[in-house]
Amino acid sequence: MSEMLIKNANVCDPVQGINCETMDICIRDGKIVESVSGSAKIIDAEGRLTMAGGFDGHTHSAGKINVGRFMNPNDARKNLVPGLSGQVARTEKTRAQVGYNTPNTYAIGYRYAKLGYTTICEAAIPLLAARHTHEEFKEIPILDKMGLSLFGSNWQVMEYIRDKEPEKLAAYVSWGLRASRGYGVKIVNPGGGEAWGWGKNVSGLYDPVPNFDVTPAEILMGLAEANERLQLPHSVHVHCNNLGKPGNYATTIETMKLFEKINPSRDRQALHVTHVQFNAYAGTSWRDFETGAPMVADYVNGADHMTFDLGQVIFGPAVTMTADGPVEYANARMLHEKWSNQDIELEDASGVVPLFYSPKSFVNAVQWAIGLELALLVKDPWKVMFTTDSPNGGSFVNYPEAFTYLMSAKRREEVISGFSKMAIDRMVLPGIDRELDFYELAVMTRGIQSKMYSMPEKGNLKVGSDADIAIYDILPGQIDPSTEYAKVKKAFSGAAYTLKDGEVVVKDGEIEATPKGKVYWVNAKVPANIDIAMQKDIDVKFRKYYTVSKSNYMVEDTYLQKPVEIATEGVF
Amino acid sequence: MQIVTLSLKKPNKIPIEADNVNPDNFAGKTEGEIKAIPVWYGNGQCPLGDFFNVSVEGSDSAENTKIVFKGDVSRVKRIGQNMSAGEIEINGNVDMHCGFGMKGGKIVINGDADSWLGCEMMGGEIVLNGNASYYVGSGYRGESCGMRGGKITVNGNTRDYVGEHMCGGEIIVKGNVGLLPAISNNGGKIVIEGNATMPASEMKSGTVIIKGEVSDLLPSYKEEGTEEVEGVIYRKFTGDVNVGGKGVLLIK
Ligand SMILES: [Zn+2]
Repeated sequence: MSEMLIKNANVCDPVQGINCETMDICIRDGKIVESVSGSAKIIDAEGRLTMAGGFDGHTHSAGKINVGRFMNPNDARKNLVPGLSGQVARTEKTRAQVGYNTPNTYAIGYRYAKLGYTTICEAAIPLLAARHTHEEFKEIPILDKMGLSLFGSNWQVMEYIRDKEPEKLAAYVSWGLRASRGYGVKIVNPGGGEAWGWGKNVSGLYDPVPNFDVTPAEILMGLAEANERLQLPHSVHVHCNNLGKPGNYATTIETMKLFEKINPSRDRQALHVTHVQFNAYAGTSWRDFETGAPMVADYVNGADHMTFDLGQVIFGPAVTMTADGPVEYANARMLHEKWSNQDIELEDASGVVPLFYSPKSFVNAVQWAIGLELALLVKDPWKVMFTTDSPNGGSFVNYPEAFTYLMSAKRREEVISGFSKMAIDRMVLPGIDRELDFYELAVMTRGIQSKMYSMPEKGNLKVGSDADIAIYDILPGQIDPSTEYAKVKKAFSGAAYTLKDGEVVVKDGEIEATPKGKVYWVNAKVPANIDIAMQKDIDVKFRKYYTVSKSNYMVEDTYLQKPVEIATEGVF
Repeated sequence: MQIVTLSLKKPNKIPIEADNVNPDNFAGKTEGEIKAIPVWYGNGQCPLGDFFNVSVEGSDSAENTKIVFKGDVSRVKRIGQNMSAGEIEINGNVDMHCGFGMKGGKIVINGDADSWLGCEMMGGEIVLNGNASYYVGSGYRGESCGMRGGKITVNGNTRDYVGEHMCGGEIIVKGNVGLLPAISNNGGKIVIEGNATMPASEMKSGTVIIKGEVSDLLPSYKEEGTEEVEGVIYRKFTGDVNVGGKGVLLIK
């Protein structure tokens, strides 16, 4: 039995409604408890800001990031955020680290932990390539991990939707999650991945997918119903059609509206829309491109069935990586950049393209503003998850920098003052004076994740929760983030303490210990007869089309380090 | 004037990474101080004096410091990395990445150079009185801009990918080059007095002059008359049209 007492913590824990109150936190055997004995180890937080461990609910940190690594060997030497990037030699406690946007697996674990983050959710696992994701998970130290499996351009999914077989569809989703050891359902540009196999794309929610006679709207609704039938802990996680195109805000709002009729099977949202920054563009071309954030925020303010995340842009180099194959082709052509393109057989497409966000480019400046506009115009922080869609909008090591944009209008003005007049005319950010406080920031980086992924033991400091805790060198009453943003950035860049399951993993911004993290996955129960009928259909797929056999396809438990199986009961 | 003479105590098999060996770092230092400068040897660091005999004459600024390598240093990498002034003379063969990121000053090599000579060079001059291996004046792996300034003269031959991703500066090769010289470059000037194969693929801008034979000229170049350079008339090609390039390729 190991016990610890954190004294004098200035706790900011929105899940419990605690807003910067000084209290003690008791820990026993990796969990937060009511009280500890007199022999507990003591950490004196000395009134410093204390939050649950950060939870990145949408990041590309295992899997496709590896394509980014081999396309960008030069990323290994980039050191744009000293202490959190670049080449770092091995120490007694840590392995060698390289990179910025596509760091090696060890660096990903260390650097998230330094930021006070303890859980990450990989945003895109192709079922067929799930083994690779789990191989990388195994080598990412410290953090707890989970991943979202891709279903949005899958032949079997589209066939079951076309043939109106919702039960078999749910059985297939359950099987796909088991095969990939995934946590939830990701839908990327529904139908677009399949269309890309024919060099095409889908242009909107009602544009049929070639050869399948289903529309993106039907795919979204079919998968959402399956998701709720299986009572999955997360809602469907949607990357909308038309990403990256001027005028796409309309498609985004249309997609959100579509989900008003979905009844969530659990106490959470019916829809999560991801990296909305890339999907909140107005205008009709790159010439008259402008922010669509006010329209999207307006809709979201009146909706109570959904959550979204930002996909905030960070100026400098980034690497886009997505299952949205046609978007990456368009990026590569437009930017004359390196391009990787992959066909995931019967399941999806994918692409990787490096790019550079420059404040001098009016398009990039407006993109930067849109992310912040979304965060600040949506009134309820419980609808907003903070992300950069790392490394699509920029590397996660820039989160502390991005927090200063959210917390300080003065800091934003500083950045905006470097923009062209044309850029400023196309955004609404300069007129927004809202500044987030630590409580709202904790909602967007911890609290909402706990709720939207139905993980009551994560993202909060309740008794019974995991003792994943971050203490930052900030005295909440004595700092004004609106003017002292440099201090805020410094404190969030290297936690005074990060605890993972009650163990000190970071102290004074340096790695102290590198325990192995857990991997969460969802096992949804399906009646045997439906499962057997579904298996017959996919057996045909494997026999006729796949390059691998079904027995070689499944991720086995031996692939998972410290697996945590979340069981749900499907309703049939 | 300060002259620092280095000679290997015995040939090394494991490479030494001499990225600290440049006039900027040696200027004004005594023999003892120079011997103490750390260099990478395999996976650990050792003082320079463990490997080299060091003698120092005089003491002066970087501009007035000359480093002379006596004998072969074919397993010593990164000599002259990031140097901004002064001179290095190498009397023998040298290993990879000599003059990497060089900003000024001069390196003279009286021997052969391994790959990546003058990689990402920004200024100064390299004279190679021997043959070079791959990637003279190129970019770091994955980078889109290689050599940006300065001048490299190779008095012998080079292997493949001379001036890969070059963005500025000048490379002159007196002998022959291998495959794909000036690949993906975006500025600068390359003069090849000998023969070349498949020159200037994906060139966006810049000038490439080939005085010898060209094998496998790429079909993605447009012929546009002739141009005279220093009294010699060349056939003029522009491209690479595959990347909308406006580079100029002059061949006989
Ligand atoms: Zn993403």
